[in-house]
Parts: sequence; C-alpha cells; structure tokens
Amino acid sequence: MLLVLSEEHKEHLGFLTQVDSAVVGEFGRIAVEFLRKGTNPKIYEGAARKLNVSSDIIQHGVEGLTYLLTEGSKLMISEIDFQDSVLVLGFSEELNKLLLQLYLDNRKEIRSILSELAPKLPSYHSLEWRLDVQLASRSLRQQIKPAVTVKLHLDQNEDQTTKILQTDPATLLHLIQQLEQALGEMKTNHCRRIVRNIK
Amino acid sequence: MRFRFCGDLDCPDWVLAEISTLAKISSVKLKLICGQVLKDLQGEGIDYEKILKLTSDAKFESGDVKATIAVLSFILSSAAKHSVDSDSLSSELQQLGLPKEHATGLCRSYEEKQSPLQDSLRARSLRLNRLDSVSWRVDHTLSSSELQQVNEPLVHLKFTVRDGDRGVTEPFAMTVSAEKFRVLLAELRQAHAMMKTLS
Repeated sequence: MLLVLSEEHKEHLGFLTQVDSAVVGEFGRIAVEFLRKGTNPKIYEGAARKLNVSSDIIQHGVEGLTYLLTEGSKLMISEIDFQDSVLVLGFSEELNKLLLQLYLDNRKEIRSILSELAPKLPSYHSLEWRLDVQLASRSLRQQIKPAVTVKLHLDQNEDQTTKILQTDPATLLHLIQQLEQALGEMKTNHCRRIVRNIK
Repeated sequence: MRFRFCGDLDCPDWVLAEISTLAKISSVKLKLICGQVLKDLQGEGIDYEKILKLTSDAKFESGDVKATIAVLSFILSSAAKHSVDSDSLSSELQQLGLPKEHATGLCRSYEEKQSPLQDSLRARSLRLNRLDSVSWRVDHTLSSSELQQVNEPLVHLKFTVRDGDRGVTEPFAMTVSAEKFRVLLAELRQAHAMMKTLS
C-alpha cells in the first residue's frame, strides 16, 4: 500500500533536500521527540537561526516528516512500500535510506503512542467497601439489616470519577456469581478457539 | 494452604515469589525498612532514598526495591486488617520460607505499631459524608406580610458537611419552627441513647 502525499506536503518536505543528511537526521529526532512529548516552538527558532531560513520552513519540514512517519506507522506499510512512496519526492539515495531507517527504528514506538489516542470508556481503578448493619431507624427500632456500601473508583483519560452503590448481601452474592460465570466463559471451547486464532 | 494474615485464603503468588528477595537483605536492615513502610502505611510518607541506601548492599535493582516495599506493605497491612497477632504472623512467614531472624525482626516492628496502624486503617475506611460543624441562631419573628403579630421563635441551623470524595466542605442551612425542632431534638436524643448502649 503506497502513501499518497499531497502537493503541499511534498513542498514542505522539499526543504529537506536543501540541507545535508546530518540535519535531516536531527529533524527526524526532533519529530519523534515531538510525538513523544508534544511540540516545542522554541526549537524551530533555534534551528531557523542556525540554518538561516525562516522558522516557518523549519516547522513545515518537521511537521511533514512527522506526518510521513505517523501515516506510515498507522498503516504499517512495508519497507518497499515506504521506499516507493518516498521515491515520488525525488530525494537523493542517501536521504531515502535515512528516511527509511528513521521509519523502521521508530515505527513500534509511534504505533504504541497512536494506540493511546483511541477513545476509551471509563475503566476500573479501585474499589472500597464497607459492611454495615442497620439496627434502628426513626420508624422502626430493633432491626437487623445488613448492607454493603461500595465505592467504585473509575478512571477515564486521567479523570477520576467515583460511583457509590449499596446492596444487601443476597444481591452481592448474586453479583459475585454472575461475575464468576462471566470469567468462566473464557474457558469455554468457543472462546478458546477465538483466542487461539488471535494469537 | 490457608494463611491467617491473608484472611484465611491462599497466599498470593507474587508474595511467595518475593519472599526470597526479602531473604537477601540482612534482618537488621529488613527491620529498618519495615519501619519506613509502616510510616508510609500510616500516611506519613516514605523516605525512598533511605530504603535505597539500606538495600544497596544487597545490590538490588530498582524493580527489586519496589517489590520489597510492595510485599512488606502487603504483609503488614494485611496482618493488621485481619488482626493477626505477631507470633502467628512470624510462624506463617517462616512457613512461607522467610528465615527465622527476618521473620522475628519483621514481627517485632509489626507488634510495636499494630495499634496505631489499625487506627489509621480504621480512619481510612469508607465514609461517605461527614459532619464538620454545626452553627445555630434563634430568631423571633415579630410580624409578616400575612399576619401583623406573629411572635414565634425560629431556629436557623447550618450544617457544614465535608464531602468524602473531594474533601471540600459545603454548608447546608435550614430554618426550623419550634415544634418541628422539638421533634427533631427528641428523635436525635433517642438515636444518641441507642448509640451509647452500643459503644
């Protein structure tokens, strides 16, 4: 599968032919660093001063490189496909090899960063519980009513929410039974066959 | 095998695995590390640097240090949770393979701090909201738009409630007429008498 690059993208990457390969390597390192930790515009200024061009051009070059890497990693294109896609840009042999090396070295890490961007439901963080016995209320004295209070801590994209639930022991036992049944489903032949095929 | 300090359940596999890591430190150093872990369990914070220094002789990697802290936290908090006395804890740890001097040292630190630890665990138990303070004011209504001579006492009550989750206090105010207030007071007195018979 080939990457199709837009005209604008090719123009941005065209800047890379005007600098030597050490600089392209540096840009590649900056691009991966930005993918890991976020962009830092000050770096553009520093590089622009050193190379004597406007910082816009540097920014476009780095962003073009980043986009090339993320699109390649996202689609998990093979070496040959990547080389063919880059050939279109008309770079030198050395530059092509450099870009390929950059892609192969960082592909796994970029894929793991991209996997964190998928939408997520709230996930389990922790659980606190308490067992109480209600002995009396305003309307009725001399009672014995056990109750379990549960505080469920949920995590959603670094947002912590809590849910407070209360149940009597019979419902709790039923809940435990249902959850154990759900766990037991993993051991059925049907699930085992699917898991074996995924692996 | 059932262990009292695990709540009459099997000992978790990871605890079994890390017992051998604990045996690598000298028993004196283990007692000092226990002291630090106990401080952390009581909410006083942990001095990670000190623990690193104490484990440096045994040439622990950072994973081993974290495992040591985790297994000691589990053993000490679990023993306090199930109110295990230090002799039983010592014999159970020896059954798991911890050398005698190590087990004795650990249990001596546990015994010294068992009550304060249980108190701090009790304080950390699940509580929903709690009452922070109460303030009141008695007014006397002279007259109103409906009736020229009212002449009735009125109580203003303000409860400051501390939210269990976020720890912020919220005020909750209400006005109570004289009769309603008498009923409220009588009911609360009955509830208080019932609490006294229980404690």
